[in-house]
Amino acid sequence: MAGSLVETKLYRPRIRPDLVQRPRLAERLLREAGTGLTLVSAPAGFGKTTLVSAWASQSAAWVSLEESDQDPLIFWTYVLTALDRAAPGVAEDALAVLQAGPTPIETVLIGVLNELSVLPGEIDLVLDDYHLADGLEISRGMTYLLDHLPPQLHLLISTRADPALPLARLRTRGELVEVRAADLRFTLDEVTSYFTGTGLDADAIATLEERTEGWIAALGLAALSLRGRSDVTGFIHDFAGDDRYVVDYLVDEVLDRQPEQVRRFLLETSVVDRLTGPLCDAVTGQPGGRAMLESLERQNLFVVPLDDRRQWYRYHHLFADVLRARLLAERGDITELHRRAAQWYDDAGDTIAAVHHAVAAGDVDHAADLVELAVPALRRDRQEATIRRWLDDIPDDVVRRRPVLAIGFVGALMAGNEFQGIEQRLQDVERQLAGPADELVVVDREELDRLPSAIETYRAALDLIAGDLAGTIDHAAVAIQLAVRGDDLTTSAASALSGLASWAGGDLEAAHRGYAAAAAGLERAGHIADVLGCSVTLADLEITLGHLRQAQATLERALELGHGVRGTSDMYVGLSRIAWERNELDVATDHLRRAEELGAASDLPQNPYRRRLALARIREAEGDLDGALELLDAAIKVYVGDFSPDVRPLTAVRARLLIARGELTAAQKWAAGLPDELSYLHEYEHVTLARLMMARHEDAGPLLERLREAAETRTGSLIEILVLQALAGRDPAPLKRALKLAEPEGYVRVFVADAGPMLQRLRPASPYVRTLLEAPRRQAPVTTPQTLLDPLSDRELDVLRLLTSELDGPSIARELVVSLNTVRTHTKHIYTKLGVNNRRAAIRRAHQLGLLTR
Amino acid sequence: MNHESACYEIRLEGRIDPRWAAWFDGMTVSTHADGTTVLHGQVADQAALHGLLQRLRDLGLPLLSVDRAETDQPQRKLS
Repeated sequence: MAGSLVETKLYRPRIRPDLVQRPRLAERLLREAGTGLTLVSAPAGFGKTTLVSAWASQSAAWVSLEESDQDPLIFWTYVLTALDRAAPGVAEDALAVLQAGPTPIETVLIGVLNELSVLPGEIDLVLDDYHLADGLEISRGMTYLLDHLPPQLHLLISTRADPALPLARLRTRGELVEVRAADLRFTLDEVTSYFTGTGLDADAIATLEERTEGWIAALGLAALSLRGRSDVTGFIHDFAGDDRYVVDYLVDEVLDRQPEQVRRFLLETSVVDRLTGPLCDAVTGQPGGRAMLESLERQNLFVVPLDDRRQWYRYHHLFADVLRARLLAERGDITELHRRAAQWYDDAGDTIAAVHHAVAAGDVDHAADLVELAVPALRRDRQEATIRRWLDDIPDDVVRRRPVLAIGFVGALMAGNEFQGIEQRLQDVERQLAGPADELVVVDREELDRLPSAIETYRAALDLIAGDLAGTIDHAAVAIQLAVRGDDLTTSAASALSGLASWAGGDLEAAHRGYAAAAAGLERAGHIADVLGCSVTLADLEITLGHLRQAQATLERALELGHGVRGTSDMYVGLSRIAWERNELDVATDHLRRAEELGAASDLPQNPYRRRLALARIREAEGDLDGALELLDAAIKVYVGDFSPDVRPLTAVRARLLIARGELTAAQKWAAGLPDELSYLHEYEHVTLARLMMARHEDAGPLLERLREAAETRTGSLIEILVLQALAGRDPAPLKRALKLAEPEGYVRVFVADAGPMLQRLRPASPYVRTLLEAPRRQAPVTTPQTLLDPLSDRELDVLRLLTSELDGPSIARELVVSLNTVRTHTKHIYTKLGVNNRRAAIRRAHQLGLLTR
Repeated sequence: MNHESACYEIRLEGRIDPRWAAWFDGMTVSTHADGTTVLHGQVADQAALHGLLQRLRDLGLPLLSVDRAETDQPQRKLS
């Protein structure tokens, strides 16, 4: 995705020097404090882009939207990239999170909003032609953005249709500035100023104003029609007396006065959205496109430059539509033009545009070829929404002859959580494969052999989604059996699905085998980030099974394999958990610090919550229960699930903390919805319940005994249950058994946290028990002296500490009882002194300098 | 609400040339003495109708009314 950004979409159009000054509008658009949104809503040709371009500061974040931006991944990639260029670093993390995997848009935006809320400067964000991107999914993110808009960010939307945003609410609160068609129309004064120097008299100008109703596009066309005309009066008279659609009339006037070559160029090239010399040459079949475009720009013939290098242009939207309609009426058949455009884009490597034109050319087979070949790369870049849209463009009977394409669409549909009709599609493909081979159309031969195994893998996934664990395991086994040699990706997918199903069913050994096979296959296929993803689960399973050392080896091996790729910081968070189990709190803290320094770009989607959870555990172990609770609540806020069973729900972790804090009523509330039946899926919660009962001096004995029986194969779980049994029954026997199980692996935390007094009474005390009793208390960290030339003031240090929290700018201001402006001034000084330009970088630098140790 | 194909009549302010018919997916374009234009014809479904309205919006043509035609009137008067 990052490689395929269309730069022209981020280009802020230049303002023509001959522009009519419009002070009455400039005044309307003043950025007043508390104005959340400026909306410029009017039909085409009302000078929206020009007005907005004049409004936006030189360094504004600008996005010219297109229809493809209805895909949230594409839309937010552009918006965040634009913001990051306007204020380097503010959206770096958010972009990384966006591209890391399916994440709720709120989670993506919270990072950039936090950065923006302490931004020392201000930033204008312009979304031009918003109507092209508007839709349910985009609205959701935009509404969230508006609801949390920091005062530093000025948002301006220009659109032809009012956007699906809570406008009424903003209006009532006075947070909306609107400029609409009635405001944008040229007044008579402005029309007069526009025609200054053309020699038109006041009557003629009044006539033009009346006939065009101040519609700027029409006035522009009128000016073009008047250029070099001897009979001005005659023209204006005819124009005034005609009741045709004003743009239609004027375009005729302009086109008829162009040399045939120019007229033809304008009409034929109107089929493409963006114009560049070589593309125009390909479409028209004539050389000289680049020179022609430059000449059109000089004559102000409705081309808009899209960059500063005279490479890309577009026609003014309204003019383009009229040209296209004219072309269609004159030629009837314009498929050849589209075919040439498709070919050019295909050669240029722009598949999306190539498919668009191939479809417009009615050349669905060519389009299908392009899509089939593009699917693997698009899936790798997670642009399934783009593939999904093509499903509407390529007729069913074409897909039905193309098994590889059909399976490509299945993958895209399932990635978008559309499971309806998938089984039907799979059966269709099976029928195709069973039929005569010469009836199949396949461009991507290599993919064809993989289909039988892929089909079974999708069936395994369908079963898993339907909750049919046995079916998942069966289909995955068939998929693995059918896989062609060397098809590591399909085998890995099937193994992982099988592992997931076993996990959810409580068969941890089988789950471990599945994930281990998946990790090995992914490693062979070179998908290292996915190996790291699998390693998180493997280590989790190993800890539960009581193999603490193996878990550590798994994570260390993954780190060796893929240091630096996405998931690296997840490995450190995992290692932190292991150090915590061993009660090595300093080591655990160090691992977390490393994870934090790596930044969100090396996080898998779940890491933001896992990190906070890990830190909360350390805080609790240090006795900082308030800090732990704050972190847990933050973890819950950024929680993202995946397909894995949620075997250690954050709410249960929180309930344990509440018990430790003595807030038993609140913990009791949590316990309300727990099922009675024991199962591995609820094991952690039931152990939590046992802890609650013990805290309430209720008899947890029977529950613990049932839990112990169920957990006999899971040494990790068993150790904790045995410790609790010892405490509940005041019986050292289970504790002794737990110690025997725990000693080879080095578990410490579980004993230190709960069983201290009972350990002291154990006679004779083994060396292991003595180690447990001497478990080192965390030493107060040595404060490193600041090494800054210009050290931070105490107040700045306060702000810096709060910058590491979850708080946004206004909350930091409240916390310190100062104004937001003061916070921003402090932030500015902090950034300058640390030599950074954003929040994340400031935190990283502060850690390196040891400024944050308490 | 029927989502199937139906006949629609869309009235616009201003006079547009019949040659726009192709642009509006083969709707017939007829102009009237009162300075309005009527597009008339079969529309495949709601999505097609909205696409058509969007095309009118993009041209800045003021919309006066959109009606579902009662009968299957002459669908495509060749003009």
